[in-house]
Amino acid sequence: MNFEAVIGLEIHVQQKTKSKMFSSAPNGFSRDPNTQVAPLDMAFPGTMPVVNKQAVINAIRVANALHMTIDHTLYFDRKNYFYSDLPKGFQITQQARPIGKNGYVYVEVPGGKKRIGIERIHMEEDTCKQEHFMDYTLMDYNRAGVPLCEIVSLPEISNGTEAREYAEAIRNIVVYTGTSDGKMEEGSLRCDTNVSIRPYGQKEFGTKVEIKNINSFKNIELAIDYEIARQSRLLLSGEKVRQETRRWDEGSGKTVLMRVKTDAVDYKYFCEPNIPPIHLSDDFVQNAIDTCPELYDAKKERYLAMGLSRSDAEIILSDPKMAAYFEAGVPFVQNAKDLANYLIVEVNTYLNKEGVAIQDFALSPKTLGEIITGQEKDGLSHKQCVDILNYVLANSVSPKEAKEALHIVAQVSDSNVILKFVTDVLDQNPKSIADYKAGNQRVLGFLVGQVMKASHGKVNPAEVSKTLQEEIKKR
Amino acid sequence: MDMLDLSLAELHQALVEKKTTPLELTKEAIARAKANSDNAFEYINEEGALAFAATLTEPEADNPLWGIPYVAKDNFSTKGIPTTASSNILNGYVPVFDATVIQKLKDAKAVMIAKATMDELAMGGTGTTGHLGITYNPYDPSHQHEIGGSSCGSAVSVADGIVPFALGSDTGDSVRKPASFAGLVGTKPTWGRISRYGLFPFAPSLDHVGYFTRDVYSAAVLLDVLAGRDENDSTSSTRPVEKYESKMNEPIAGKKIAVIQEIYDSLADETLLKAFNHSLDVLKEQGAIIDFVSMDSTLLESLYPTYMVISCAEATSNDANLDGIKFGPYRGGKTYQEVMFNARNEGFSELIKRRFVIGSYCLMRENQEELFLRAQRNRAKIVESVNAILKDHDAIYLAAAPSVAPRFDQSSDRLSDEYLMADNHLCLGNFAGLPSITLPLGFENGLPLGVNFMTGAFQETLLFQLAAAFERASGLAELSVRNPKEGNL
Repeated sequence: MNFEAVIGLEIHVQQKTKSKMFSSAPNGFSRDPNTQVAPLDMAFPGTMPVVNKQAVINAIRVANALHMTIDHTLYFDRKNYFYSDLPKGFQITQQARPIGKNGYVYVEVPGGKKRIGIERIHMEEDTCKQEHFMDYTLMDYNRAGVPLCEIVSLPEISNGTEAREYAEAIRNIVVYTGTSDGKMEEGSLRCDTNVSIRPYGQKEFGTKVEIKNINSFKNIELAIDYEIARQSRLLLSGEKVRQETRRWDEGSGKTVLMRVKTDAVDYKYFCEPNIPPIHLSDDFVQNAIDTCPELYDAKKERYLAMGLSRSDAEIILSDPKMAAYFEAGVPFVQNAKDLANYLIVEVNTYLNKEGVAIQDFALSPKTLGEIITGQEKDGLSHKQCVDILNYVLANSVSPKEAKEALHIVAQVSDSNVILKFVTDVLDQNPKSIADYKAGNQRVLGFLVGQVMKASHGKVNPAEVSKTLQEEIKKR
Repeated sequence: MDMLDLSLAELHQALVEKKTTPLELTKEAIARAKANSDNAFEYINEEGALAFAATLTEPEADNPLWGIPYVAKDNFSTKGIPTTASSNILNGYVPVFDATVIQKLKDAKAVMIAKATMDELAMGGTGTTGHLGITYNPYDPSHQHEIGGSSCGSAVSVADGIVPFALGSDTGDSVRKPASFAGLVGTKPTWGRISRYGLFPFAPSLDHVGYFTRDVYSAAVLLDVLAGRDENDSTSSTRPVEKYESKMNEPIAGKKIAVIQEIYDSLADETLLKAFNHSLDVLKEQGAIIDFVSMDSTLLESLYPTYMVISCAEATSNDANLDGIKFGPYRGGKTYQEVMFNARNEGFSELIKRRFVIGSYCLMRENQEELFLRAQRNRAKIVESVNAILKDHDAIYLAAAPSVAPRFDQSSDRLSDEYLMADNHLCLGNFAGLPSITLPLGFENGLPLGVNFMTGAFQETLLFQLAAAFERASGLAELSVRNPKEGNL
């Protein structure tokens, strides 16, 4: 029997706003534990939530990019449950009226594009971070109250690859709207998946299994495909799929049982009485959309139009800081593709070797452009330009100083100039001509070397070699 | 007569003329607080108050609160000063920030001399449920009668002449009912007029900052200081603050005042009825138009259950932070659930736990529609009815309570068959968030009786205008245990 998988994704995106969702505490990464905390974040009695305007603007931009209907009145609800990581004993979220509803995104599938529906996007706050030890738990409230967007897809995804592409599409949107870093490895984008299978043709959904703890885009694909296979095996051997929560175990490449789900928890939702309904004017919503930074897809189209290959464009766009650097450098080169090549090969190699991020790269886009232009219009070879680049990076000098220090001069390809050097060298080396004519090909290399020496390396060696062969024939 | 028995305006004059100093007043207030035997205080801020008062040496003639001692209910967050909301679960809690109203009073250089007892976590209306035990009514030295609650200690502080004003909070009637039992002016403005930031929440959709004074003028000038938008409270209003005392001396001729017939009819106390009727005549003599209006009695009977459902539901969520992990006593446990269970089981009294159970039950998925959402819809109906009356009238005027303060052996927090509209109508002002003021009417067997005015939203200036006219007629301004009066009604 053949099965069809039905997959839905719930993606939590940590917003990189300056302050938290409802408090004025700073929202930043990797500082000392419990230093970025306002009284509200630890639920001190009497504190009250104040909605972060930038978080709302971000949510509007993401909702718009996902083609959603945007609610012009903000409502918040309390989701009540007792857990040690929840300072207030409830989470402020948007249960009844999410800011965005009914959207979609396209993913690439074999033979074209597939539209995946999105049910909702809502804003909420993160919990505090816990580290469990044998007999105690450490709590870091820096994360408590960090703004989140939750994006819930419809169960319209059919396999692991689609799921990964969907998640990547969401990542690209949240990253390029400036909402989030979108890094699964760092937890700024988290993905819970629901997977069920059913025989082709069956209308009812199969039993749903939730997978948590997936920490990379690749693992979304692997976890789902594993889970589909696992469920298929169960059904084929006459067993039932249990409703349960499983965890992706990267080491073994398997999903592992976390807990069997009984009745769903009753969160006793009710409207948050400390935040009145907030009306968003048409102007406010439109302005949030109009001022939204250029999105991934638009940038990609533009890069392709500049002559970049699809894969080069994707590599540049995989890091928004790289894309920003690329765009800053384009005015300083003849051809955007040359800049892309340098960024993807030489600059990336350097950054990886030195462990430096592009935003900390020592060369300004203008300086890098100056070096690349040497190849584009000043007659320098690719190798010469790379030498200059490396010398500039190693010695913190200008490209001009590097060029002088390396005695790099533009190669001459003018045939008259080359001919003069060639004629002189041949005149001085009759024996070599004879040897060459007698079949000793290696003599040619010696003669080229002599010409390069005489010209102080100014001439193009390929041209020299060609001219030498022609001139020897004439003698 | 001691300085502290002067009216706020007179006291201010004495301070400006340097007939007394903030330090002297503070010392006197603290001495009176210590001498009081009604169990009114959680914490006397002796050191802090004296130190602050000592810095106040240059009188501010245009600041009526300069150097005036006051008391705050123990559910206002006070930086560095223990705050328990009279609950064991907060024993030892010292807040790290000041509530906005505490900060505003600090800025106005009023001197907080003490934190007052209350019903535990502001839930309850008897003044008997705080962790320090019963708070007594200073009008009854035999300690047989309630002062009412939940702002019991604050009411005692002003009725016993310890301070000219005290902060309270009012979720159902927690300022305005004890004001009636204590012969005081009890004010609660429009929801959103005073910031609630730093007020420990009971039921935020109903919670108000309120206060006790001994005259209407003090109530109006206090609102001048306390009112205003606060960026820390999203529900606070952006409306400009008015000069709330500006119309106090204007006549009330032509003002239309509604008396709700069904509530009036539920009054049984003859002394009260007589005095209330007399007050209607007096208001008429001043040119006010009195209208008896009808309100659906089913709605009026539903006030208390509606209040219980909504307030308990919100409360169970608001107090979920008191879990023995961040706040509350740590009583051990093998799992986080056990830690929370042990802390909450020991920290809250039986009455509080009962309210949490009711609140949780009403919010459960299978009950929400039938209980919580139904109560919300009913609240909307109640608000609609009240606003319909106020559309045609300047104010609603009623007895604040059905009698003088009840005896302890007569009161109960539990629902009973005996249901009095007259005992529960003040929460109309909380459901609708309307400004409401209780004023002393007279006495029965030496215990005070009170009345209440309520106006439309943000009509505090009108409210004080009506209240001031009433006060002139009653002759009961500046009433306290130390300054007894009989009144004219």
